[in-house]
Amino acid sequence: MKKLLFTALSATIILTSCSSDDDSGTINNDVTAPATYTFERNNHSTVSFGGQTTRILMAEEIVSAFNDFDNTTQTSLQNMFAHVEGANDFDTAALNASDKSVRSKVAASQDFFNANATEATIIKNTFDGYIAGQVNEVFPNQNTAAAPGTAGQIADGTRTRYVNSNGLEFNQAFAKGLLGALMTDQMLNNYLGTAVLDEANNRENNDNDITDGDNPYTAMEHKWDEAYGYLYGTAANEANPNLTIGDDDSFLNEYTGRVNSDPDFNTIATEIFDAFKLGRAAIVAKNYEVRDAQAAIIRQKVSEVIAIRGIYYLQQGKNKIADGNQTASFHALSEAYGFVYSLRFTRDSQSNTSLFSRSEVDTLLGQLVNEEANGFWTVTPETIDAVSEAIAAKFDFTVAQAATTE
Amino acid sequence: MKYWKIWSLFMLALAVVACSKDDTPSEEQNDSFNREAMLVNWADNIIIPSYTSLDVSLDNLQSETAIFVTTPTLGGLIEVRNAWENSYVAFQNVSMFEIGKAEELNYRNRLNVYPTNTSEIEGFIADGNYDLSLPSTIDAQGFPALDYLLFGLADTDEEILAFYTTNPNAEGYRMYLSALTETMATLTNTVLTDWTTNFRASFVANTSSSATGSVDKLANDYILYYEKSLRAGKVGIPAGVFSSDPLPQNVEGFYKRDISKKLLTTSITASKNFFNGKTFNGSATGPSFKTYLDFLNTIKNEGDLSTLINTQFDVALTEVNGLENNFVNQINTDNSKMLTTYDELQRNVILLKVDMLQALDINVDFVDTDGD
Repeated sequence: MKKLLFTALSATIILTSCSSDDDSGTINNDVTAPATYTFERNNHSTVSFGGQTTRILMAEEIVSAFNDFDNTTQTSLQNMFAHVEGANDFDTAALNASDKSVRSKVAASQDFFNANATEATIIKNTFDGYIAGQVNEVFPNQNTAAAPGTAGQIADGTRTRYVNSNGLEFNQAFAKGLLGALMTDQMLNNYLGTAVLDEANNRENNDNDITDGDNPYTAMEHKWDEAYGYLYGTAANEANPNLTIGDDDSFLNEYTGRVNSDPDFNTIATEIFDAFKLGRAAIVAKNYEVRDAQAAIIRQKVSEVIAIRGIYYLQQGKNKIADGNQTASFHALSEAYGFVYSLRFTRDSQSNTSLFSRSEVDTLLGQLVNEEANGFWTVTPETIDAVSEAIAAKFDFTVAQAATTE
Repeated sequence: MKYWKIWSLFMLALAVVACSKDDTPSEEQNDSFNREAMLVNWADNIIIPSYTSLDVSLDNLQSETAIFVTTPTLGGLIEVRNAWENSYVAFQNVSMFEIGKAEELNYRNRLNVYPTNTSEIEGFIADGNYDLSLPSTIDAQGFPALDYLLFGLADTDEEILAFYTTNPNAEGYRMYLSALTETMATLTNTVLTDWTTNFRASFVANTSSSATGSVDKLANDYILYYEKSLRAGKVGIPAGVFSSDPLPQNVEGFYKRDISKKLLTTSITASKNFFNGKTFNGSATGPSFKTYLDFLNTIKNEGDLSTLINTQFDVALTEVNGLENNFVNQINTDNSKMLTTYDELQRNVILLKVDMLQALDINVDFVDTDGD
């Protein structure tokens, strides 16, 4: 009898543990995501991410100003970057009135930079340096043809590109680097992390539906929305953003859309949006396991967007060089440079560190831009392939898959 | 006996080694079509003669301009205009060959970026200081800039002439006119000379099937031209296909106004002739995409792909024939005809870019830039 009981017990335990293992891939007990990102409490929408929308709009104006040779100065551009409330830095009045600043949230995530002010400062200074470089190196050479070691103009079909002495476009380095250092870092390493979501009494308050002051949302709900806002903050339809994914900004939204148009990755936009919806629904359902599982999905997928797009531009650039046209590669390589820079802000969901360390990223950047050899003027297809392979190695897609969108 | 066996074995081994050394599978041709003959037909019977004809026209344009600049008269202005028109038509025959030196010089964009930037032109003329080799100046030179200077400065011929005679900066206008025509003639001469002295040999020898082979490269240049410069540039963009409203100010030949149709017809005909390997200004045909597709027995929808493509060229030409010479008028009075023309041109984009390239095992090497 005892033996039978024991066997039955063991069997039950084994069966139970087995089923737990089965469930671990699909933890979805009792949480249903709505069709769109719509959440209400007492008939009031609880969704809010205005600060993120503001920073995306500020970033758009900043990047445009990089090529305003007639009006932009180092001061005006730096002031847009590190905006102070009320200062007349932008064309849009609402941005001038805002107390938000882009620079203050660059390399400012809780998880990566709360205890790393040294690196955070270096990163912010790097962006300051792009601004200074554009105005002090490139602007004076507006009407000079670029050459190895000389900033100036490059022909790119009917477009004119303005590069520094290494063939790098500062506006691309800034824009594609900001995509990582601001939008990605804040999303993956700040707002989706438990240090922020579960800060102070957030859990308890969320469990008890205690909202944040006069706002209709709990603090936790709001943090999750702020992550959402860095990808969909300027979407035409905020609750159903995938209708126009790729068209809504020049940062994460644009490139999520681009990667999604590649047949090799054409579920990524849905996967990210579904994870955002389900995670937010999980917060409402007070199911933090489901919430964190969605955060892990978003971290993985957004990291992939950056890596895939970086490899894409690297290979586009490489093809031009292989074709005998070194300068035709500079625009693609400049974009790639920013995406490689952004790898620092990706997130390994398992280890809670970035997928690429500071030194790994710096090594890759140094291979692309060899300062001793005028950077892009001498970079070879072999080097570009090596960098591409190094990036792809950390994921389960290939360089070939990322290299084309056909 | 023994030694003989060893020796023959040794020779066999050598032969095998020698044979395998010659094998470079990734660079050799994938089929037995005579690519070299096609490249020779392209170079000798189409490309070089087309450039030669343009070179002559532009030299003539430059000399007429020199005469006009020395003594500006209405008669002289008309001579320059005629030379401009002849050259612009001749240019349509070479515009698709953006390979070799032309590619290096960004040739098509030095000669035909439109709409032209009139304020930039006026700024350069007032300043007297300009560098037409800078990428940022491509929209202030070439045929479209001349179009403005010959037809767009004022409403009447007398008023236009006055810019070159009595205007306070008439000298500036004359100098700019000279600079433009000289630049165009020099660039074309450089491209032609490179073809006849240097590039032709390497072009016809490069028969490989890789992306850097001549056939692959020129096929891509041809299709890029057809899709972007012809279909979009001459029809789609002005007709508003890519914008919320039509953009009649973006037609080719905006200032002369009644030349747009002629330029479009010439370019479609040139594209069709190249497809068929037709000798420039002749009636003979030689190997080209058509013969290549036929060699590979390429069928689509139970018909020859080459026939489908030729038929579609003809349909497009018929459609164009029904348009006014003046595309601005056409757009403003009945844009639907422009859109139908666009649609007929578009059908061949599919047949060429998808079906033909697939049949020839050529990869597309150009992508739409993401507009940043």
